[in-house]
Amino acid sequence: MKPERWRQIEHLYHSALKVAADQRSAFLNEECGEDEDLRKEVESLLSYEKSAAEFIESPAFDVAARLMAEEENSNQKHNSVTGLSPPRFHILEKLGAGGMGVVYKAEDTKLRRVVALKFLPPELSRDPQALERFQREAYAASALNHPNICTVYDVDEHDGRPFIAMELLEGQTLERRIGARPLPILELLDLAIQISDALEAAHTRGIIHRDIKPSNIFVTTRKHAKIVDFGLAKDTSGRQLARALPTASLNQNNLTTPGVAIGTVAYMSPEQARGEELDTRTDLFSFGAVLYEMATGRAPFAGSSSAVIFEAILNKTPVPAASMNAEIPHRLAEIISKALEKDRDLRYQVASEMRSDLKRLKRDSESGRSLAKPVVENQVVPFAVPKTRPSGVAVWPRQHWPLLTVLLSLMLIVLAAAVLWFVQSRPAAQREIQQRQLTTNSFEKPVNSGAISPDGKYLAYSDAKRIYLKLIQTGDTLVIPDPDILKGEKIDWETGPWFPDSTRFLAVSHASNLPLIPTAEETSIWVISILGRPPRKLRDHAELYSISRDGSLIAFGTNGGKFGNREIWVMGANGEDARKFFDSDENTAICCLSWSPTGERVLYVMPDKDGDKLVSRAVQGGAETTVFSPSELGRINELSWFPDGRLLYSQEEPGSFFGSACNLWQMRLDQHTGQPKDKRQLTHWSGFCMNNFSATADGKKLVLLKWVGHLTSYLGDIAAGGSRLLNIRHFPLSESSDGAADWTPDSKAIILVSNRTGKFALYKQALDEDTPEPIVPDGYGRNPRVTPDGKWILYFAKTGAPPTKAPEPVMRVSINGGPSERLFIVTEGTLLMSCARVPSGLCVLAGPSEDRNEAIVTTLDPLKGLGGQLTRFAVDPNANNWWLDLSPDGSRFAATPSSAGPIYIYSLRGQPTQRIEIKNWSNLLNFSWAADGKGLFVVVGIEGGRVVLHVDLQGNAQPIWEDTGGSGETQAFPSPDGRHVALQGWTTSGNLWMLENL
Amino acid sequence: MEPHSSHDVTGLLQAWGHGDQEALQKLVPLVYEQLRAAARRYMVRERQGHTLQTTALIHETYLRLVDVRRIKWQNRAHFLAICAQLMRRILIDFARSRRYQKRGGAAPHVELNEALVLTSRPDPNLLALDDALKRLAVMDPRKSRVVELRFFGGLSVKDTAEVLKISSDTVIRDWNLAKVWLLRDLRGGTSDEA
Repeated sequence: MKPERWRQIEHLYHSALKVAADQRSAFLNEECGEDEDLRKEVESLLSYEKSAAEFIESPAFDVAARLMAEEENSNQKHNSVTGLSPPRFHILEKLGAGGMGVVYKAEDTKLRRVVALKFLPPELSRDPQALERFQREAYAASALNHPNICTVYDVDEHDGRPFIAMELLEGQTLERRIGARPLPILELLDLAIQISDALEAAHTRGIIHRDIKPSNIFVTTRKHAKIVDFGLAKDTSGRQLARALPTASLNQNNLTTPGVAIGTVAYMSPEQARGEELDTRTDLFSFGAVLYEMATGRAPFAGSSSAVIFEAILNKTPVPAASMNAEIPHRLAEIISKALEKDRDLRYQVASEMRSDLKRLKRDSESGRSLAKPVVENQVVPFAVPKTRPSGVAVWPRQHWPLLTVLLSLMLIVLAAAVLWFVQSRPAAQREIQQRQLTTNSFEKPVNSGAISPDGKYLAYSDAKRIYLKLIQTGDTLVIPDPDILKGEKIDWETGPWFPDSTRFLAVSHASNLPLIPTAEETSIWVISILGRPPRKLRDHAELYSISRDGSLIAFGTNGGKFGNREIWVMGANGEDARKFFDSDENTAICCLSWSPTGERVLYVMPDKDGDKLVSRAVQGGAETTVFSPSELGRINELSWFPDGRLLYSQEEPGSFFGSACNLWQMRLDQHTGQPKDKRQLTHWSGFCMNNFSATADGKKLVLLKWVGHLTSYLGDIAAGGSRLLNIRHFPLSESSDGAADWTPDSKAIILVSNRTGKFALYKQALDEDTPEPIVPDGYGRNPRVTPDGKWILYFAKTGAPPTKAPEPVMRVSINGGPSERLFIVTEGTLLMSCARVPSGLCVLAGPSEDRNEAIVTTLDPLKGLGGQLTRFAVDPNANNWWLDLSPDGSRFAATPSSAGPIYIYSLRGQPTQRIEIKNWSNLLNFSWAADGKGLFVVVGIEGGRVVLHVDLQGNAQPIWEDTGGSGETQAFPSPDGRHVALQGWTTSGNLWMLENL
Repeated sequence: MEPHSSHDVTGLLQAWGHGDQEALQKLVPLVYEQLRAAARRYMVRERQGHTLQTTALIHETYLRLVDVRRIKWQNRAHFLAICAQLMRRILIDFARSRRYQKRGGAAPHVELNEALVLTSRPDPNLLALDDALKRLAVMDPRKSRVVELRFFGGLSVKDTAEVLKISSDTVIRDWNLAKVWLLRDLRGGTSDEA
């Protein structure tokens, strides 16, 4: 169908839906005119409209979870270990399961050895032909006695299920060992020689493996290669293979199969992909593919479906291995190419031929004749520092190192040391942090990065799309034009650190759709001069970390592994002399290098499977000092070694989601040992998260990116009896935290909590006004309620920090502002206020009873204060998250004992209590009555956000709004006239701030 | 899931997000385990009489998969999109593997609606739906994405809007028409091939 035609259909479909059902036919006749096909198509679609209402409304996971759970149950029944264990074996534990069956660790009670027992999948064991073939092959494999082939001890069956008893291997599969990273060349050659030896042994006995792939090769803890599953995939017709591995042949109707089966087809030989008769040379092709992956970290033939992979195997030459990994010796690349010849007559003919080539290469490599440079893992490549040079200067070995630089460096160090001595010897008096907001972007366009120049004059920053330069003193801002070569490219910018001369800074560009964790891939480093020269690219595939203190070196990360970048490199300030500084093996990564104030030590993060740890080490090498262990570093999202020797870092508060609340900490580190010199201290700059630290050279000004969660308010129009909310818009439009809290009785203004002046205060804002009117400028606490007559607002006054047991004064203030008066003080636990609307005059206060098993509801009068007890209702004494709201007519109240629900409607007029279970939702946080008294607006918590539901008194829930901010107090307040709902939600913005006096 | 797996998954998700199809192979079993665990929780809760919101469960699964700390907060939408895509691959693979298990790999024949037998809701046959979705993608890729995100990814309208950078109203309109189109396609209704 042509796109225009489809658009026409789409348009007409939506228009027709707006027309009453009985008039649609006439409407369509009119609209379609002569175009009979169009009318038919739209009518056909419309005829499905009703039946589609529930269609796919519950996520696919719903169905899958049931099926999975059902399967799990039946598996447990079938595979219970006791029922399964053959008499001679004592099953110890389950090791794993895969397409070829389940594997257990077991003790052979007769021979007293520990073995692996592999049970064949039931569908295979029911097929007599398959069973016979499997056993024949397994016996053949058991005849193979070779150190690099997993030994088969026995083939038998128990309870109708065939099993193999075989050598128990300890280590990991080659697939895991590779883990998407090239292996070190010597290790690669070592393993490859062993594998070729095993293939040679099997082939000379006429046994073909047919499924050589990294997951079928085991690397033991002693670095022995062991080929497993010999013969299991064997089948002369190709049919059996297709049965065991359902998607593995061309003639099936499943060429678009994605996912799991790819692991098998990716290593097939062309003749295997074509379903031809196979000989031993098929294994050599597959082995070539495995070699390629060992050398590059990637399989030679990849694709999103079996069809694409088959096509590549049959017709495409893989990307030369050497172009993917520069460390690969030329001769290894040749061996791989020869093994991957599509015509088997041009390939290696026998495994021994391949083995000889590999062995020769290994011999030459070890003697250093052929290898460019072996990769040394887990080792620091130290800076070469001749003894005559002062220690602590990071210098690359160069042939003509200018003496002047050395002298200058020396002077700088002396100077730095003097400054340091001065700074450190100052008394640490309690100082008040001065803060200044440098950028004012809204949350729709947050600042993503930025840095202050060392002289403190400029701020370079970015909102991802553009780079800006701001003169801090005047506030003037310039846009740095994108370089010409990037015109039209969709890239995002991040601005990085400045060079010490304050005339240049670095920036990073990366593809517009950000990767989850940015690594070096697709990331480039640029240098930007404020003197007007266009941005210049320094390096591709590099993730920027830092600039050395003297400005001579740029540290960057590259070679992304599963935990992050595996290598840190340094290069000169103009991108010259790039050289590897640190590297790590595939089980770790190394990140975020920064230099100590004198440049003597470096600090970096090492992520591995246990988490991230922060370590420091002398530039010249030597032992690592752990500054933070993984558990301590766990929630740190940014850190910087300050020019004055302090380590500043931002740490997430426990329980905050997506980093909505952090604290800024500081700690002194010893410059020589890297050891902490004192206990960490909270700077009391907290409550939001911060990263992108930069500082002026004197260490007096720190700039950081502050992300702030905002209370943000919205207004929506009620439709469909409350079950839909239309035209949801921001109200008020502001940069501050603004939370809607109640309405005036005429529905013309909302009561607003806002921190627009820097601290939270209470305001009233008319719907047709742009700015709110202050009501309580100071000392406002929480839970404001407008009294039914509209004359007063009752609220709890602020009492400092929020431990819930602190005494809280209940205050009254005129709706028009003026002085607040204290009505009384309450002293115990969570309390809530709620007011009805006219004509009822009722307001209530609810608080916990002494034993906390009940909430006591008491009348509350703006003039007389606390009145008599009305009623009590049961609450969960441990949960402390009960809720209550008085109905608009004052005749009932809705309450919940805890967030687990249910909601009870308690009558104040002697009617029976009604129980409401909200269908399909849990974790209810708060609620308000709808103006008509026929339902409630209920806020429920979901992972990552909150949902506002309209719930009728039968418990039917309709979600009307989702707050994805992830945190904060979502609430919904319906207007008394029943037309609007004011919503309070949460959004996050990013802006740069400057701190002084820290 | 143990912490190390979440590291693995984050890296793999990222690699896959970059178009690395091999990462997907490695990702599938890891995520599949998570889904199984989620399914277990789901059933336990259900047996205890709790109704668990599936969307919440999916979000929880996503969060257990990755080390959230390492995701930049600007990337939430991208993260959700990848998760939805991944969820589709896994659920489809799962549905497919069940088909093969049941038939022992015999030639495919018309697939009955397995899900219908087990649940009272008119849930679709996932494989047929996946195919129909591919047909829809040819004609209207955005609508197909909306369905992928909403149905397979369990995303809300708002999240879907954020991922696709379109308004929530557009998401709702796309969703409604896509559902009608898919249902008709699955029921073998005619389409205008003009």
